[in-house]
Amino acid sequence: MSMEGILSRLKETNSKYSMFHAMTEDTDLGDAGFLFSAKDNLTSADMETCAGSKILIGYRPAFDATSISKMREAGGKLIGKCNMDEFGFGTFSYNSGLEIPRNPYDLERACGGSSGGSACAAAVFDSHVSLGVSTGGSICCPASFCGVYGIAPTYGRVSRYGLIDYGNSLDKIGVISADAKDLRKYTHVIAGKDPKDPTSCVQPDFKDTGKKMRSVAVPREGVEGLSKEVETAFKESLESLKSMGLDVEYVEMPSLKYAMPAYYVLATSEASTNLARYVGMRYGQQEGDHSLKFDDYFSYFRSQYFGDEAKRRILLGTYTRMAGFRDRYYAKALKVRQVVIKDYKRVLESHDAVLAPTMPFTAPRFDDISKMSALDSYKADYLTVPANLAGTPHMSVPCGYDKDGMPIGMQFVADHWNEEVLFDIAERWERSFKARRPEVVS
Amino acid sequence: MDRATVERVARAAHIKLTEDELERYSNDLNDILTYFELLDEAPECEESGVNPVEVADVLRDDEPRMCIDPDVLLKDMDTYERYIRGPRLS
Repeated sequence: MSMEGILSRLKETNSKYSMFHAMTEDTDLGDAGFLFSAKDNLTSADMETCAGSKILIGYRPAFDATSISKMREAGGKLIGKCNMDEFGFGTFSYNSGLEIPRNPYDLERACGGSSGGSACAAAVFDSHVSLGVSTGGSICCPASFCGVYGIAPTYGRVSRYGLIDYGNSLDKIGVISADAKDLRKYTHVIAGKDPKDPTSCVQPDFKDTGKKMRSVAVPREGVEGLSKEVETAFKESLESLKSMGLDVEYVEMPSLKYAMPAYYVLATSEASTNLARYVGMRYGQQEGDHSLKFDDYFSYFRSQYFGDEAKRRILLGTYTRMAGFRDRYYAKALKVRQVVIKDYKRVLESHDAVLAPTMPFTAPRFDDISKMSALDSYKADYLTVPANLAGTPHMSVPCGYDKDGMPIGMQFVADHWNEEVLFDIAERWERSFKARRPEVVS
Repeated sequence: MDRATVERVARAAHIKLTEDELERYSNDLNDILTYFELLDEAPECEESGVNPVEVADVLRDDEPRMCIDPDVLLKDMDTYERYIRGPRLS
């Protein structure tokens, strides 16, 4: 198919699913070997980059994020920038100042967040790979809700240069695809040391070692609060893993219940400082009244263009860093993160991965999401947050479907820098589990 | 968190809130901070690194170079004679 034909089809499909905020207008396919898309918080020199926020409308970055330039160097053509929760602030890609992506299995339901558009594109288009970004579960959650594979590598494995920061100590760029083999292939493409991001420069070499996954630990804390259908699908998957020769053992991980508050303290603290740069100068919206005093000018833009959840997280993060509260919240959360890491290390000494369902329920309907409180929404992340807080590599694989045909996923968590066992189990699981593809609406 | 505190925090964050937002965020943040009280009973350890994995200072060679052409950076900014336009400072 010609590039004109591809773009025409993309536009038509996007009008149904809203997976892309921006699409390429370049009709020259050149010698591109594959097509890919990227979450819209990764800068791209040839397309507007908004990170789901009205405050960045009109922002045309002068450079590509390292992960995007590496995909291009590997022969990829960037076709679209994917819709997401504003700056990554959400579980359903519903907190967007722009377009909200629709679930490929039911257009009235969410794709999950915050890399919802990326997971949607991976599910809808054949042979398509999309770059996502995870801070607290933003790759695995949408991968689970959209029935595809998604990996968030170890913190520091992929350069964050060109990523519009949410939480610097938490953000990880990863890969989402309907094909399990793509996780290994494209994680290798985007990984590596990059002097532009010092946190990427301490990583050990990333080689195919052929290491296999032989055992998993299921934390009892990770199988609480599940919907009946998620619980059933997960138990059946454990039996399948046993039949594939893996040892499955239930364990206790008492620190997991503290991961959620620690994560939200750190994430909002970091976000509130990162978002201080958006004041109506340099990026995106800049049409303010220059006769205003700077305080009023900055406040005008931030009040006018930040969405509801962005304001909430800025307020929360500003509060937890304030004098008198910092030790109780921020300093304590840093210590709790180390406790969670130690708990993972303890379990991973004798197991290759920690395993639990990715999300406690399947993709909710938009009208149900609109009735959820902020805290309810935060709590929905309790299964994905701990691995993100710990910076450990984690991956969601499809493992079942509920009575409405909505996908269910399970999440493997490996030790730092040990993505290899995740690639191994993803490829073996893909041969064992018959994943469906959505019927694409046109 | 009472309304006065929310107002103080919002001022520090350069966000002006409507009456409706003040009421709503005050309620939401109270719920969330109550949930955060779980941290008070959480175990802790001596280490408290800022990053989840060990990182080291990495320095590049201190050589002058053009990172990005300033003209490219300026093209989407509101400028006046190659200066970025902004509000008055006082």
